[in-house]
Amino acid sequence: MEATHDNGTWKDWLAAHGPKLLLCARQWTRSLADAEDVVQEAFVRYWRHQRHLPGDPQALLITSIRRAALDHARRHARRTAREEKADGGLEERDGTFEPQPGEDADRRNEIEVALQRLPAVQREVLVLKIWNELTFEQIGETLEIPANTAASRYRYALAALRKELKPACHG
Amino acid sequence: MDESLQELENELKKLQPRRAPARWLNQINRELAAELPAPARPRYATATNLGSWKWLGWRTVGLAAALALVATVGLVSLRRPVPADAPAGLAAVPTPAAPAAEPLYEPVAASNVLYDLKDEGEVKLAGDASARQVRARYVDTYTWKNPRNNASIKWTVPRDEIRVVPASYNPN
Repeated sequence: MEATHDNGTWKDWLAAHGPKLLLCARQWTRSLADAEDVVQEAFVRYWRHQRHLPGDPQALLITSIRRAALDHARRHARRTAREEKADGGLEERDGTFEPQPGEDADRRNEIEVALQRLPAVQREVLVLKIWNELTFEQIGETLEIPANTAASRYRYALAALRKELKPACHG
Repeated sequence: MDESLQELENELKKLQPRRAPARWLNQINRELAAELPAPARPRYATATNLGSWKWLGWRTVGLAAALALVATVGLVSLRRPVPADAPAGLAAVPTPAAPAAEPLYEPVAASNVLYDLKDEGEVKLAGDASARQVRARYVDTYTWKNPRNNASIKWTVPRDEIRVVPASYNPN
């Protein structure tokens, strides 16, 4: 993460971590466009004023993204349901995950649908743990909940997904 | 966690979030490019590292003086007093000179975080010149460390900085 402290390398860092941050922001916003806005706002603020702070920049950024998303939601609370639907709402035009060569696209879609059906409080913990690789302590700090609560939400999320999904066929 | 949950967890980890759109990366690039380049920063730019002298203000000097006083008092109290009934010859033996007081704590880090920047509008300067008043609010943090025992002192202080930026008007 030290790379972000070097002036020339933020592009590389963001190219590598941007997708994870967008996925994370997507849990707290109504559309992908909103997610892009809040990650941009948080990253620019981080780069301008906080990049010299010690600690893990990703954890700091995620906390910042969550705050930006809450502010964004407050500012746009009056948006009508009609606008939200036209904008895509929670139904994204593109999928959440990158297609991989030789993968089972149906399985990927199935997982995306199952993720959408999870309760938001479980899904956000799952996203922070699996794709942003935060510890339960860091998740707890970010979401302002005890680490044990984060851990149990994670287990409930996995159990709910397992119930929803058929076991993957290997070979 | 049972085996099937572990298997599902591994399967999820293999999925890669969708790539960030190039349009979005360009947008951030443009926004960051709008930032002032380092040499063009205004004179009032504040310290963010020890390379700058600005962190060494009166408050720092005051704290350093207080630390030096505490260190001196500690050294004096550690000296053994010569017993009153000691033989005259023994009392005449000069005691080894106390080592010169070395600074126990050394500054190791200084940083500041800007958390609010507000344009407070136009103000008039002497001679009817116009200027804009901008208030920047910071939290400054200074850290000292004692290399002998690794003890450290961290000092965090809020600071308001008011900048008066002259505004010029050129009708051409």
